[in-house]
Amino acid sequence: MNTIKNKYWSVLMVTATAGWLAGCASSGVKNPSGVPVTEMRPDERGFVAGTGVESQDLVSVTDKMARGILGIPQIAGAQGVPRVVLDPVKNETRFPINKDIFLTRIRAQLNEKAAGKVLFLARDRMDALQHERDLKLSGQVTSTSDPKIVEFKGADFFLTGSLQGLTTKTSAGTSDYILYAFQLIDARTSDIIWESSAEIKKQGLEDAAYR
Amino acid sequence: MKKLCAACLAVTSLLLFSGCATTEKKPAVVLTGNILVDGPNAIANGPKRDKVLWEYRTAAACMRAGRYPEAKQYLDDALLALGGIYGKDKDASKARGYFHEESKKTFIGEPYERVMAYYYRGILYWMDGEPDNARACFRSGQIEDSSSEGEQYNADYVLLDYLDGLASVKLGGDGSDAFKRALAEDKKFGKPPAYDAEANVLFFVEFSPGPRKYAAGEYREELHFSIARPPVHSAVVSVDGRTLRAHPYDDLWFQATTRGGRVMDHVLANKAVFKKSTDIAGDVGIIGGATTAMASRNQTGQEVGLGLLAAGIITKVVSSAATPAADTRAWDNLPRYLSFAALKLSPGPHVATIEFQAEGGAPLPNLTKTITINVPADKHDKVVFVSDASITPQTL
Repeated sequence: MNTIKNKYWSVLMVTATAGWLAGCASSGVKNPSGVPVTEMRPDERGFVAGTGVESQDLVSVTDKMARGILGIPQIAGAQGVPRVVLDPVKNETRFPINKDIFLTRIRAQLNEKAAGKVLFLARDRMDALQHERDLKLSGQVTSTSDPKIVEFKGADFFLTGSLQGLTTKTSAGTSDYILYAFQLIDARTSDIIWESSAEIKKQGLEDAAYR
Repeated sequence: MKKLCAACLAVTSLLLFSGCATTEKKPAVVLTGNILVDGPNAIANGPKRDKVLWEYRTAAACMRAGRYPEAKQYLDDALLALGGIYGKDKDASKARGYFHEESKKTFIGEPYERVMAYYYRGILYWMDGEPDNARACFRSGQIEDSSSEGEQYNADYVLLDYLDGLASVKLGGDGSDAFKRALAEDKKFGKPPAYDAEANVLFFVEFSPGPRKYAAGEYREELHFSIARPPVHSAVVSVDGRTLRAHPYDDLWFQATTRGGRVMDHVLANKAVFKKSTDIAGDVGIIGGATTAMASRNQTGQEVGLGLLAAGIITKVVSSAATPAADTRAWDNLPRYLSFAALKLSPGPHVATIEFQAEGGAPLPNLTKTITINVPADKHDKVVFVSDASITPQTL
């Protein structure tokens, strides 16, 4: 009787083992579940390669740039208030981005934290501003000053930058390094009076089902 | 004996129902055959795992109908999914299991399909006066082509490198490295021309139906690609009495079939081996058990035989539940050939005619497209996208 029971158990064990083995088709594949994206220091050795520009990068980079600009003597010790014009950032990475977002945040940070030390000129609104001036000149709207006198200010400095990237992609994953570099350029002399950069490296590995 | 049967039944039931916990309950989407109707419907109401597939298809159809803002939305959403696939994915994990089909995973496409999503988005960025973001897309496309196993055919799209360099030239940079890469990659068709920084009208031309997928092998575990005989082999752009020949620079059939092996191919092969071995084990159990039960003259032998028979049946059930079939969902309205031409036109309206030609240069008049181009007076390029499946006349 015990022999029969043992045989029943053997049959059941075989069946259960077959069931237990279900789901193991990808055995032998390295990291079959993938590895989540991990933000890393640029000097940290990565396991593969990464993803694109995200909000945390924007915040950390622009915070650093805003602090840097406030510390330079030409701004901190300027006689009068320097005027700055934003020149669009050059995107040379593989990630499509809204180029203006970096300079917009730097401008907003500087206007929030150092109001009065530096002023930005709204060159991106020149069409609307010129239209308003034309209305004043033609007498269609009132004016608190003589509209014939040009009061649009010229720039003392241009703030601009570039995003450059390096990408590695293999069947094991993707790695992206992005160098964010920003410059303040003297509009009169073309001197680069300040430059700073930030680096971010990311890497990720997708599920084996996508590789 | 009853206890044995009950236990076997319980285990079998467990196995049968093990994959049913997350079965989608959505009703099947009724297709009309019109992609511009079916696409939005399937995106809104179809299975989530097919959303990107339908976004790809619908975007391509919108491009051909001149509905570029809609194409942009679909591609942006699809590319968001494509860029966020890193790490654990429940559906992808299931797709690797023995009892779930590969097609259960969220569709993002094979490398040639992912490349085309970036390529189309790049065209649309350029159309919007953002050549730097267009270049970013072309670069991402080329990176997508680097993901397959095997080094020989990695990142070998001629147009992606050519356009990368052209965008750099347009932005005042140096496109010579990208141009050299494009020349080196072009082994099949004519060499692309040198960059003309003054050319302000860019024609992105595509023609002939692209590759299709099918599954082969004993258990349909092998992913293969088929292609129809191409009706169109080249195109000629005529505008203001000038003609430009638009040769193919890239062949998606070539790209699909030289993609190298997939990690998933090994997983499917393992599934097929499992299915085969459990099937054989089931046969052995059934035949062996039945023979033993019939040949045995004592009760113990008969019971052992019946036990083996039951185990064999269960193993057959397990085998039949295994699903090694390859995922054949495909972006099925892609073209086969990609081409490009550029020229300088004066500001104002111009009428361009795009004639498609069969092998040997025979014209195909029923495919001829007419597009009115309003060239801007500023420095921005005018981008013209035209397919042999485009709905024209269009005014851009």
